[in-house]
Amino acid sequence: MVNLTKEQKSGIAKFVILTAALIFLYLPIATLIVYSFNESKMVTVWTEFSFKWYNALFHNTAIIKAVLLSLSIAVCSAAASVVIGTLAALVMVRIHYFKGESAFVLFMTAPMVLPEVITGLALLLLFVTLGDFIPWFADRGMFAIWVAHVTFCSAYATVVVRSRLVELDISVEEAAKDLGATPFKVFFAVVLPSIMPAEVSAFLLSFTMSMDDLVITSFVAGPESTTLPMIIFSSVRRGLSPEINALATIIILVAATCTFFAWLQVVQKQKRLAQDAAAAAQAAKEERQALLQR
Amino acid sequence: MTENTENTKQPLPQKQQHRPGELPGWKASPVSQNKKPILQIKGLTKQFGNFNAVDKVDLTVYEGEIFALLGSSGCGKSTLLRMLAGFEQPTYGKIILDGEDIVDDPPYRRNINMMFQSYALFPYMTVKQNIAFGLKQEHMPKAQIEERVQKMLKLVHMENYVDRKPHQLSGGQRQRVALARSLAKEPRLLLLDEPMGALDKKLREQMRLELVDIINSVGVTCLMVTHDQEEAMTMADRIAIMDRGEFVQVGGPREIYENPNCRFSAEFIGSVNLFDCTLVSSNTTQSIIKASDFHHPIELSHDLDLADGMPLSIAIRPEKIYISKERPAEETNWCEGDVENIAYLGDISIYYVKLTDGRIVSSTLPNVDRFKTGLPTWEDHVYLSWDPESCIALTI
Amino acid sequence: MPTGISGITPTLIRQKIKQRRRRKAEIRNMVHQENGIRQYAVIFLPYLWMLLFFLLPFLIIFKISFSVTEIAIPPYSPLVSFVDGAMQILLHLENYTNIFTDEDGTYLRSYLKSVQVASFSTLFCLIIGYPIAWALATCKNTTRNVMFMLIIMPSWTSFVVRIYAWMTIMKKDGLINDILMALGIIDEPLHMLQTDFAVYVGIVYCYLPYMVLPLFAALMKVDYTLIEAAYDLGCRPIKTFFNSLIPQTKSGIVAGSMLVFIPALGEYVIPELLGGKDSILIGRILWQEFFNNRDWPLASAVAITMLAILAIPIVWFFNAQRKSRERV
Repeated sequence: MVNLTKEQKSGIAKFVILTAALIFLYLPIATLIVYSFNESKMVTVWTEFSFKWYNALFHNTAIIKAVLLSLSIAVCSAAASVVIGTLAALVMVRIHYFKGESAFVLFMTAPMVLPEVITGLALLLLFVTLGDFIPWFADRGMFAIWVAHVTFCSAYATVVVRSRLVELDISVEEAAKDLGATPFKVFFAVVLPSIMPAEVSAFLLSFTMSMDDLVITSFVAGPESTTLPMIIFSSVRRGLSPEINALATIIILVAATCTFFAWLQVVQKQKRLAQDAAAAAQAAKEERQALLQR
Repeated sequence: MTENTENTKQPLPQKQQHRPGELPGWKASPVSQNKKPILQIKGLTKQFGNFNAVDKVDLTVYEGEIFALLGSSGCGKSTLLRMLAGFEQPTYGKIILDGEDIVDDPPYRRNINMMFQSYALFPYMTVKQNIAFGLKQEHMPKAQIEERVQKMLKLVHMENYVDRKPHQLSGGQRQRVALARSLAKEPRLLLLDEPMGALDKKLREQMRLELVDIINSVGVTCLMVTHDQEEAMTMADRIAIMDRGEFVQVGGPREIYENPNCRFSAEFIGSVNLFDCTLVSSNTTQSIIKASDFHHPIELSHDLDLADGMPLSIAIRPEKIYISKERPAEETNWCEGDVENIAYLGDISIYYVKLTDGRIVSSTLPNVDRFKTGLPTWEDHVYLSWDPESCIALTI
Repeated sequence: MPTGISGITPTLIRQKIKQRRRRKAEIRNMVHQENGIRQYAVIFLPYLWMLLFFLLPFLIIFKISFSVTEIAIPPYSPLVSFVDGAMQILLHLENYTNIFTDEDGTYLRSYLKSVQVASFSTLFCLIIGYPIAWALATCKNTTRNVMFMLIIMPSWTSFVVRIYAWMTIMKKDGLINDILMALGIIDEPLHMLQTDFAVYVGIVYCYLPYMVLPLFAALMKVDYTLIEAAYDLGCRPIKTFFNSLIPQTKSGIVAGSMLVFIPALGEYVIPELLGGKDSILIGRILWQEFFNNRDWPLASAVAITMLAILAIPIVWFFNAQRKSRERV
């Protein structure tokens, strides 16, 4: 047996744990990708490499239609969720005390934890009731889906924006006010630039949540509106199909690209922070010299 | 006593009458009578629930002076400052700036600017944009903004760092940008919240004087909040000591140190030896006082407006107590004991002398001579003496 | 002085009331501090949205759960009707009695099964997630960035796609069976799909990030000097883990567990795709009652009952969240 130091031991343990986690997380995804390039209709038997299923996918009008519908709903829901989420986060972080504060917090976070079947059922019954008065809800089309998605996505957006807002130094906002900026101006000139990264994350998260939602959408959507997850679900229920593999591969590719750029951002930000710190240290040195001369 | 007339709220009013040790030239009053008041605070109170963070404070600040609010944390000094800036709404009271009550104005409509403890620079803006921010809110013409920013940059010696972001500056530089930003709008009143709080010790001492220079060269009236007495003493023309939301004493640095009006201010600023005493007799030229801790009486060179036999406290600063191995010839103003401990601080040594009845008295000795011998040392029997003028009589 | 249960005395209650009043006065003070109207404008939009689209629907569910199905549009009986000019309110309790006294006990069994599946999945997620979160929190900065992104990435892909991926590899002729047979561990393919095992795998796979993230956040905040101090005082690793690390990461454990347990309890897609005929979880029941049997009132009653079960963990979750927020 080789004698290892404590650090080496824990280093090996970490390596093993993380490798195992990655295998667990990525093995299913990898197989999915591999078989999307399979010539055979069998999802589990490899014959030869081909783009056949991608070709079939791009000619499947139902899927293309669903993708477009999902994309437009996701963009609209994400935009609205970011607005509502930002307002809610501002209320939670900056205004604290008002009547019904705990109810507010409950409303803003509950959609995140409730089982989707309950939220979906609740929203559908609401839309059916409202449909009598407001025709927009009656056909349960894109508008109804959008409302449902905004309701649960804004909960996630709130959490993301909130976590950034609490880190902000409130005296920066006070300083802006002190220098003559109205509250409205303070938000756009000082707060918004500081929480911009969180706004982007909140948008992306809401977008993904909306793109991905199956259960709530199935409840609220009328027969005319079929979103992408609904189409995948119904075809998976009918059996495995390489076309779905191809679609899944594209989804994974998009997600991976986004993740890669997110990672790049993080790395660049850390680099920038290190550079700033170095510049600050240099400035401190110069300052000491300047003070001596004066 | 002009300084104290404005301090109408006296926590213990009878103290006013028995003010001792009034020596000519002692009162450092930088504010001449003809200077006009710029800020008047009247009966300002802030309640949080049942707790009065600031309790009926009255204050007048005169044009061009640097005024310091000094107190330990939680004494209400920051709340007072935030009410002036407009971030806190007072429960009652008036804030009058240049004759106008501004209590109901939001912060962005007050002609008061503040330098924050954390400096609160806008992280996404350069030095220049930070300084120009307030001017842009006034919709000042571009050329004028540029000119003013250049002037400010020169004032704080930051011309070489115009395009840096706050993260790329050292602590001292950030402070100077913050100062330039709050001076750029040429406010009537500048508020400084713990101006040196975020700096390290070495830099702090240098920055104090520089900050005073800059403020004086601009001529702005300044109100600062600090918990650091050294900072208040070096920077301010007048100081208010605050405790539990009230002003304990208002006066020049020297007055506050040499002439505290109560035990709290005596103990808060510097260190002090306090003795419980009773008045034996008092006439126009001298007062004789008996201390409970030692045998020989204390003699003051002035009268006390107090009935004989009344209790009082005598405060003596340690640097005004002489320590010697020889017994003094006089009959008054000395006591004896054994050296219990010596703290050698380099510039001075502090002797802790245990009197015969167990009371510890401190006395400082400047280390003038590098190799002086024959100084009292541990366990030595020593005599402590002081001048009659060094004693401050405080009613209990 | 009369002493109530668990030491609640009238004096204590009076004190509490007084405290509450004082706090309210304080609050009034603070709200006053900035221009009120603008604030309320900010509160208004999110509040209104959530009242309309979140609170109202639950009241409607609650209402409909007391009605019965009818062949009509909408397919349930009205609670309030007018008979001979008089208002009549009919509350049907059949749905609830149905759930609890159903002859073959399908509903009760599925509730129990759901609780069981959700609890075990949460436990598995915790056991698998804790080491991952620990490794992430304590490894080098650069590695952490990469690993963090890699662990998050799958959850950015579609949920159904992830389940589908497991369907392909757990099939009779799927990758797992192929590998196991090639290694000679088994002679004939294992039957994995449409078993509870597959459901557990699916839930753990999909909800693992929800467990890892709060744990990771909690582990990043841990004061590791305390752990060194415990070692220094002669505490053995296992004991240190339970005495020092677990208490310090309690908020993360609670948050992560609730984020897995609550949605897993009502999970529909995973048991539907990976589970067998006997994996009848409550989410599936609700779905079937609603979509297949079109019995909206019964589905509503099922949902209300599920909410009742979830009330305790949800309240627990919110308290843990509030505590961790107040600590900040």
